[in-house]
Amino acid sequence: MSLVNIKDLSVCYGAKTVLHNISLVVNPGEGWVIRGESGSGKTTLGRTIAGSVRHSGDVTIHFNTQSPLPATTLFVESWYRFTNLEGDRNFYYQQRYNHQQRRDTVTIARELELFGKEHALNNVRLQELIATLDYTRVLDEQLFEISSGEHKKLQLIKALWLHPQLLIIDQPYTGLDVKSRGRLNELLNAYTGNGGTLILISNDTELPACVNRFAMLKDGRLSTDETAFRFEEKVLKPLPHFLKEPPQYTTQTLIHMKDIHVRYDDKQVLSNIQWQVNAGDRWLLQGHNGSGKSTLLSLITGDHPQAYANDIKLFGVQRGGGESIWDIKRRIGLISPELHWYFDANATVLQSLASGFFDSNGLYRQLRYMQKQQLDELLKFLDLYDVKNELLTTLPLGKQRLALLGRTIIKNPQLLVLDEPCQGLDQQQTQYFNKLVDEISRNGVTIIYVGHFETQLPACITHKLVLENGRSIENNRIATQSR
Amino acid sequence: MANYFNTLPLREQLNQLGVCEFMSNDEFLDGVDALKGKKIVIVGCGAQGLNQGLNLRDSGLDVSYALRKEAIEEKRASWKNATDNNFNVGTYEELIPGADLVINLTPDKQHTSVVSAVMPLMKQGATLSYSHGFNIVEEGIQIRKDLTVIMVAPKSPGSEVRAEYLRGFGVPTLIAVHPENDPEGKGLEQAKAYCVGTGGHRAGVLRSSFVAEVKSDLMGEQTILCGLLQTGSILSFDKMLEKGIDAGYASKLVQYGVEVITEALKHGGVTGMMDRLSNPAKIKAFRISEELKTIMRPLFQKHQDDIMSGEFSRIMMEDWANGDANLLKWRAETGETAFEKTPAGDVKIGDQEYFDNYTLMAAFIKAGVELAFETMVEAGIKPESAYYESLHETPLIANTIARKKLFEMNRVISDTAEYGCYLFDQACKPLLADFMKTVDTDLVGKNFNEGKDGAVDNQELVEVNEALRSHPVELVGTVLRKAMTAMKAIKTA
Ligand SMILES: NC(=O)c1ccc[n+]([C@@H]2O[C@H](COP(=O)([O-])OP(=O)(O)OC[C@H]3O[C@@H](n4cnc5c(N)ncnc54)[C@H](OP(=O)(O)O)[C@@H]3O)[C@@H](O)[C@H]2O)c1
Ligand SMILES: [Mg+2]
Repeated sequence: MSLVNIKDLSVCYGAKTVLHNISLVVNPGEGWVIRGESGSGKTTLGRTIAGSVRHSGDVTIHFNTQSPLPATTLFVESWYRFTNLEGDRNFYYQQRYNHQQRRDTVTIARELELFGKEHALNNVRLQELIATLDYTRVLDEQLFEISSGEHKKLQLIKALWLHPQLLIIDQPYTGLDVKSRGRLNELLNAYTGNGGTLILISNDTELPACVNRFAMLKDGRLSTDETAFRFEEKVLKPLPHFLKEPPQYTTQTLIHMKDIHVRYDDKQVLSNIQWQVNAGDRWLLQGHNGSGKSTLLSLITGDHPQAYANDIKLFGVQRGGGESIWDIKRRIGLISPELHWYFDANATVLQSLASGFFDSNGLYRQLRYMQKQQLDELLKFLDLYDVKNELLTTLPLGKQRLALLGRTIIKNPQLLVLDEPCQGLDQQQTQYFNKLVDEISRNGVTIIYVGHFETQLPACITHKLVLENGRSIENNRIATQSR
Repeated sequence: MANYFNTLPLREQLNQLGVCEFMSNDEFLDGVDALKGKKIVIVGCGAQGLNQGLNLRDSGLDVSYALRKEAIEEKRASWKNATDNNFNVGTYEELIPGADLVINLTPDKQHTSVVSAVMPLMKQGATLSYSHGFNIVEEGIQIRKDLTVIMVAPKSPGSEVRAEYLRGFGVPTLIAVHPENDPEGKGLEQAKAYCVGTGGHRAGVLRSSFVAEVKSDLMGEQTILCGLLQTGSILSFDKMLEKGIDAGYASKLVQYGVEVITEALKHGGVTGMMDRLSNPAKIKAFRISEELKTIMRPLFQKHQDDIMSGEFSRIMMEDWANGDANLLKWRAETGETAFEKTPAGDVKIGDQEYFDNYTLMAAFIKAGVELAFETMVEAGIKPESAYYESLHETPLIANTIARKKLFEMNRVISDTAEYGCYLFDQACKPLLADFMKTVDTDLVGKNFNEGKDGAVDNQELVEVNEALRSHPVELVGTVLRKAMTAMKAIKTA
């Protein structure tokens, strides 16, 4: 008997039909992947199967009553929200660097312990999962202290630990480094090997061997024809004029870091880093999850209090020499998964982009005429003009990311810090975005780009810094690529 | 030491109570300049101390921490807070003599002992700052005449002061200069610079005086903010149990209801809150709030009188001297109320249901906000100050009840607020006993509109709407809310 049987499923959000007459049969033990562009209805389909969306048509699930596996469906959201101990969600992205003698959220270990208790799970299995995904390092940290990739792992560990009969994972690889992806694929193979049925929502190409069925959504309609799956390459519109202006550098060396050390209690996060970034350099910063990339960047963006205890010169000024963090941020356009995660939930698309003028998380000031002009130009360039008054959080993830990318360039800064800017974007969006970065880089802007995958990088990169366990293992100019 | 306010002639009392000005953005164009390059030493590294210090440093100022010897030797939380964040930490002897600005952020109860220890070490012409004026106004501590004394009081807990700063915003802040201690006339410039350093200038700054801050702060927290929210919550819950409403439902309605209902205050004041009710419910709530105001007015006046005369601080300081005997007793009693001990049930209550089924709370809040405001203004406090300490803060406190009920509210607010809250609650409950006998479940627990046809008299509705909109707290509120261009949902204590 089939496990999932979907007949004539339609879903509407208000006046908008998101899924049209979908029919699909999933048999026990199958591994499915559902592909589709951002906004095509993938996530809605996943949620509907998991039973959390109002719909018309039939969605029936027949669990195997003989199976030892929990007769349940688990949907792993690509984006989930946790609360602090007081039940609030008012986090800010810099919070993990602001050490205080208090607990705001539970630790990872505790979170897992509670989950295990709730579902009466076996601890031995948990230890295996932790070891396989290299997760021991973060167990004592609080929820708000870990990176988005580490949050993704937490979700995956819970799901695989529970081992439900049906597992649906929305964007399983977001934020994972190359090694973790491989490990995850092994775990997913083992999951179906043990009788689980898997549905992945992803446009990634390196899928586990157990994935043998394919579906694709386009504008809310489903097709299982594999050949229909091809992304059209999106062409770049001409760059807005203001982004062609070369940035105004006041000094040749933008970043000068000497013997950088950062530690929390007994944990060394960065050791002995030397780094110099000159005007016009375009750096790639790499390293596996937890290698210290984001911490290093936070020292540059004025977000880390330990910058005051290190020898750092930013834009020609020694840190701690009486400059304010706003003087620093003024020169930088920043995007990171954490910035996105904790971004002001009440901001519209326009307000989100506009906040880049002031380096604030949300818009709190009046815009001047020229700023409004620039915003309109950029919104049109990014194809976001029609949704400019919608709440950022209501857009598909890929579009949200694009809006926050717009936020980084809106003031045409000297330095772009792009920390995994394409995390959560599909191939097509990533390509488009990287082309955009290449195009912008022509004006001479300095770039630091964090990305895990060699195939998904902009072509303009000129230098490379690689971190491993908080140390630099490669720090040099790379052979210039053709542009 | 004598109560400072009581040493002033009436003319000067009124004068200081009346300092109140909503500052415009262009008063802060000089940024942090007045403190640039100056040595700032913060005494105490707790909730306010650490977070204000982090902000000031991130604004380009030179900050270090002076802690008491024991805290350093025993590596207490305050020491860890400061050293983990790479601040320079030292004893009073090491750091105070070099300080241009000493910021006292120790608990209010300790201010006399801390300031007495610190003051002799301060250099000639330095500045001493507070985030609350109790020590100056109520305890009447005398500060050396060469020292400047200022106040910068964020209207939020420390963690929010930090969070909002890093988001690029700030929290509403009150600043003041003590007229007895401004020998060089630099107090205001420094207070403004300090306020910019914490980000407060972005969220709305009220120039006040030590006297106005203390007298209005005490009045607000004792009556509407904490006192009446506590009394109203307990009475509502007990009434529902008496009438056989499910305890879990009642607990949830009360715990979250205050938050949902007062949220409407933030955007549209009392009028906005009342507009969420159906027309018949609005008229009913209006009528009973008038009744409540008549019953409670003498109590509000007594609190204001005792605050003005210093009687309140006298008895509270007696309790301090008595090892907090009363405070601890009342705290324990609050923990034992049925409301506190009944967990919120696992039921879904929609936003509108909170209004429809808890009309009584809207009436309590309208009565409390207006009474507190009216009483403060009658006592000489300016409407803008009175607005901040009544309507503005109500939703922020209600938030804490939603989190973990009254225990949480009383934990988050200061000891002074907590003491005053219990004092009010003790007196208010018996005062409302007869009134509560007239209350039935249509006002609390069930939908007010059920079984009614929704008809109202046009004339009556027009009158009620007019009365709501023309209340002075609404007039000043409309102006202030507009001025705080980017008013945001911020918690406070
Ligand atoms: N909390 C708020 O929401 C809020 C809002 C606005 C204004 N304020 C005002 O801010 C001030 C500080 O309040 P807070 O809530 O930040 O206090 P807190 O968190 O309790 O911190 C108090 C600090 O003072 C130190 N301390 C305690 N007793 C001391 C003593 N006898 N001598 C020297 N240091 C001592 C403590 O460190 P050790 O015990 O380790 O020495 C601790 O670091 C008060 O005036 C308060 O009214 C508070
Ligand atoms: Mg990272």
